[in-house]
Amino acid sequence: MKLLTHNMLSCHIKGVKNGYPFLIEVIKVSEHEADFDPDFLKHIFPRINWPAFLQAAEAMGCREGLPEAPTETALEDEQFQKAFHHALLEVTLEEGSLVCPETSRKFPVAKGIPNMLLNEDEC
Amino acid sequence: MVRVVCNSGTDLVEDAPSTSGKEYLTYFVHRLLEFRRPELESLARTVGCKDEQLQWRAPAGDVDHSPFWYLTLPSEDAAVEISKRMILTKMLVEVWAEGENWDELRAAFEAYPGDRKSPWLRPDLTFRVVVESFGSSLPMDEQLELINRLEFIPFKGTVRLRDPQVRFVLLRCDCGDHGSLIDATVPPRLYFGRLVGSSDRGVIDAYSLKRRRYLGPTSMDTEMAFVMCNHAGVRRGSLVLDPYAGTGSILVAAAHSGAKVMGADIDIKVICAGKVGKRGECLTVYSNFEQYGLPAPVDLIRMDAHRHPIRPDLTAIFHAIIGDPPYGVRAGGRKSGLPLAEVAQRSPIRDRDTYIPSTQPYTLGECLRDLLDLSARLLVVGGRLVYFLPATPETYDEAEIPQHPALKLVANSEQILTSRYSRRLITMEKVRPYDAAAAAAYYAARPDPTMAIDRLHDIVYDHLPVVSAAAATTAAVAGADCGGDAPLSVKPRRRCRGKNF
Repeated sequence: MKLLTHNMLSCHIKGVKNGYPFLIEVIKVSEHEADFDPDFLKHIFPRINWPAFLQAAEAMGCREGLPEAPTETALEDEQFQKAFHHALLEVTLEEGSLVCPETSRKFPVAKGIPNMLLNEDEC
Repeated sequence: MVRVVCNSGTDLVEDAPSTSGKEYLTYFVHRLLEFRRPELESLARTVGCKDEQLQWRAPAGDVDHSPFWYLTLPSEDAAVEISKRMILTKMLVEVWAEGENWDELRAAFEAYPGDRKSPWLRPDLTFRVVVESFGSSLPMDEQLELINRLEFIPFKGTVRLRDPQVRFVLLRCDCGDHGSLIDATVPPRLYFGRLVGSSDRGVIDAYSLKRRRYLGPTSMDTEMAFVMCNHAGVRRGSLVLDPYAGTGSILVAAAHSGAKVMGADIDIKVICAGKVGKRGECLTVYSNFEQYGLPAPVDLIRMDAHRHPIRPDLTAIFHAIIGDPPYGVRAGGRKSGLPLAEVAQRSPIRDRDTYIPSTQPYTLGECLRDLLDLSARLLVVGGRLVYFLPATPETYDEAEIPQHPALKLVANSEQILTSRYSRRLITMEKVRPYDAAAAAAYYAARPDPTMAIDRLHDIVYDHLPVVSAAAATTAAVAGADCGGDAPLSVKPRRRCRGKNF
């Protein structure tokens, strides 16, 4: 699971109010090179919840080079683009869990694939 | 809407404001008839043309399913770009002459402006002539014979069969008197012109399912997966989601066009566990991307499109959402939760780490309602949703095609599968930002999402009770003879493959 996906997901258990963002429990992280595309980054950047992204990057160990509160102008800076691209699309949670901040329910991530299916008493 | 003009109503043509740009003959593959024009319209949009710059002109004889239509495009560059992606159009041709017979062809050629011909007939350009025949096959010697009949064309360059600088095309339509499978309504005609672009149908073979390493029973056919991506306007840098990814066939086609792809599926076995290959290796969706040297999907997620975990404030992030929803012939739809009737009997979950969540049947109407609403939210304005809608003559009603206040229907193309069953590729475009209140109001006014097709199973099998009644009679007779449990031995034979029947 990449941080782009992490940024898109929130806990959907019935009744949960503060299910975002998921905390990340890391067992194994890997890196896979992805095509660098500044236009794609420009498309994604305004849709990213930045505090959630930073928190996740911290947990995954790829926080370096990511400012506290970047503005759109930061996107012109190549250093920032590289750091953002790396954290967004290259660092992968292979094994671990997404933990709901409200209920502590763990959604397991195995072989890089998060299992977001709810049990029947949760939906 | 793209303008369409026909030949018979001459008034219509005069009414139409003359579109600037150039007209090309589109020579279609003679299959998937309703998919062909929407594919080119979508590709034109993908390469930057506006709908109002396009215009269709009907072919000679005004036969709607003819493979010889004309399309006006703003520029030759657009035509070249389109031809690199088109699947259901064999070639785009700048027509220099056409006619019902050779005399007409020659007269038309001579009437075509010399200043448009001469730049391509120069002595320093290498060229070749491609011969194509529609409705009958042409052996090599007959092809040569036809080329020889082009003696009235002052070719000055050198013939070069491999990589010539100019390709000319001679197209012959000849459907009559051959016992041809194609109906003879497309009138005989000859076309001569300059080839501007031809499709690379080689990708269909390169990505053939026959050699794909990881497949499932409902993997999307390669040609169709590419056509779906073309309808969806997938291009380099697009972010594409398939909410029913399965073995990832649609995602492979999207990745070929340079898109970043994400897949979701409710079935963990398909997207995560995979299969064991011939050499004992583990095959998954990722194996398919590796096989073709494509960048791996951004992510695959196991989730339920009905009770999905996408954060509620996320909007306008995907450029295309493409999927083949589960509709119960070979793989039925499932969603999270227990059927109401079983809720009371459920025992409490003891070990949550190993518990396998229950799923319950998911009607197509409900599934499509979820798909449209999710797409209306997650697509960028101008982004497209492309999906298959199953149909039978008994249940199809155009008014039943699901709608959404933020989505506009762009194309509805039927693929006939059997005499009783077809599927329609539905293309919708997001035309305005998502408004949750408007969507809620729209759905509140239509409380029941069930569609006629959801009764398909009953329609197909509603004659079964008759069979059972007859069987019961036989059984009763047999039972009278030997007594006991004879009815079990006369169960009606299963007539359909697939786990759900």
